[in-house]
Amino acid sequence: MSIVILHYMLMAIASLLSVVSVYLAIIERDLVKAVVYSALQSTFYALLFYLIMAPDIFLTYVPVSVGLYTALILVLIKKTERFEGEEK
Amino acid sequence: MNRYIHAMVILTLIVLTIVLATAFALGGITLYLPPRNVRSLAEIFLNTTFNLEYRISPMSPEAVTAIVWDYRGLDTLFETSVMFLAIVGALTLFRGLSEKLPQEETEYRGGLSVIVKTITRIATVMIIAVGASLALHGHLTPGGGFQGGATIAVAPMLIIITFSTYFMFRSIPVKKAVLLRSIGLSVIALTTFLVLIIALTQNGTAYIFQNQPKIHADYGIPSYLGDTIVLGGTLLLFNAAETFAVAFGFIALLILITVPEDYAKTIVLEGEE
Amino acid sequence: MMEVVQFLFNIVVVSMIMNIAISLYGVFARPSLIKKIIALTIFGDTINLMVILIGFRYVEPNPLPPILTTIPPTSIDISTFVQKAVDPLPQALVLTAIVIGLAVTLFLIFLTIQIYRIYRTTNVKKIAKLRG
Repeated sequence: MSIVILHYMLMAIASLLSVVSVYLAIIERDLVKAVVYSALQSTFYALLFYLIMAPDIFLTYVPVSVGLYTALILVLIKKTERFEGEEK
Repeated sequence: MNRYIHAMVILTLIVLTIVLATAFALGGITLYLPPRNVRSLAEIFLNTTFNLEYRISPMSPEAVTAIVWDYRGLDTLFETSVMFLAIVGALTLFRGLSEKLPQEETEYRGGLSVIVKTITRIATVMIIAVGASLALHGHLTPGGGFQGGATIAVAPMLIIITFSTYFMFRSIPVKKAVLLRSIGLSVIALTTFLVLIIALTQNGTAYIFQNQPKIHADYGIPSYLGDTIVLGGTLLLFNAAETFAVAFGFIALLILITVPEDYAKTIVLEGEE
Repeated sequence: MMEVVQFLFNIVVVSMIMNIAISLYGVFARPSLIKKIIALTIFGDTINLMVILIGFRYVEPNPLPPILTTIPPTSIDISTFVQKAVDPLPQALVLTAIVIGLAVTLFLIFLTIQIYRIYRTTNVKKIAKLRG
C-alpha cells in the first residue's frame, strides 16, 4: 500500500517543482538564465514521463529538449540580443 | 526587494495548487482519478501485438513501435516529410552560404585545448554506439528510429564546439549531408513497397506497409530468425533507415547555424538585393 | 487511502493547468522573440504530457509499461498483460507530435536570425513601428 502512495507522491513533487521552474523561466530578463531554467523544467518533465510508464517518450524527450533546444537557443542568443526589453 | 517578491509569488503558486487539488478531491467535483480499466481500443492493441492466433499481429513485443510503424504507418510517413520540409525551408533561408564557406578559412587555428579534444573523441564514439543500440533494439525494448537519431545528433554539436565549424564542414559538407538524408528516406520508401514487389513478381496481391501475412495476401517478411531471435519484420529496417536520415538531417542544420556572424551576414544579405 | 491517491493525482493535473496558463502569458506579454520561442516550447511539452496522462490507469501495486517481457508469451502472460498495462496509443501519437514541434521550432529559430540581420532588433514593439 505504501508503494502506491510513494509512486503518486513522487509524481506530485515533480510537478510542483516544474511549476516553480516554469515561473522562473518566464519572469527572468537575462535570456541565458531563462534557457537554463527551461532545461531544469525539461528534467522534471522527463522524471514525470518515466513515472507515467512511457519509456519511449522519455527516450525521445531527453535528447531533444535538454540537448538540442538548449544548444540551439544559446547559439541564437549569441547571434542576437542577450537582454530582453529596455536595458537598465 | 525583487527577490522577496519572486519568493512570495512562488510560495503563493505552490499553496494555490495544493488548495485547489484539495478542493477538487474532497468537494464532490472529482476532477480526475485514473480508471481501473483501459479503453477497448487499447485492449485490441495490447492483445494482438505478439499473438499467433490473430492474422493482424505485427509480431513485435513492443506495442508502441508496432503502432508507430505498422498499425499507423502512414502517420509516421507524413511526420518524416514534415521534418524534411522544415529542413528545406531552413536551407532556403540561408542560401549561398554552403558554397562560399571553404573560401573563408584562411588560417584558423581554433578549438579548445588538447585535453578537451581527447575527451570529445572518446565521448563521440560512445554516443554513436548508444544511438545505434537504441535504433537496432527498437522492436524489443524501448527505443526506435527517432530516439536513436536524436541521440546521435548530439555528437556533431560537441564536435563543432570543441573543434571548429570548418573542421565539421571539411569532413561532411552540407550537400553530402542532405544527399545522405535523401538516401535514408528512399530506403524507407523502398521498404514500404517491398512486400508489394515480392508479391507482384509471384502473381499475388499485397498491401503497402505490410509486415506479416494477412488475409487474402499471403506474403510477408519473416518474423523469427532461427528459433529464438525475434526480427521485427519490416520494423527493423524502418528503424535503422529513420536513424540514419534523422542524424544526417541534423548535421546539415547544425553546420549552417554555427557559421560566424560577421561573414554570414554579408553573404546572405547581398543575396537579398 | 483512495482519497490520498486522488489528492496527489489532482495536484499533477492542476499544476499542468497552471503551466499552461503561465506559458501562455509568456507568449502574449513578453516583447522579445526569443522569450516567445522558449514559452512556446514549454506550452507544447505540457500539452503532450497531458495527453499521455489520459492513458494512465490505476493498478495495485503499479501499472506496467506496454512492453511484453517473455518471448514467446503464453495466453496467461497475455491476459495479465492486458489487465495491468498502460494504454499505448497516446504514446504513439505524442511521438509524432514531438517531432513536428521540433521541426516548427527549428524553422522559427532560423527565421529569428534572419529578422535580426535585416531589422537589427528582436523587440516586437520596435519592429511594429518600422513599417511605413
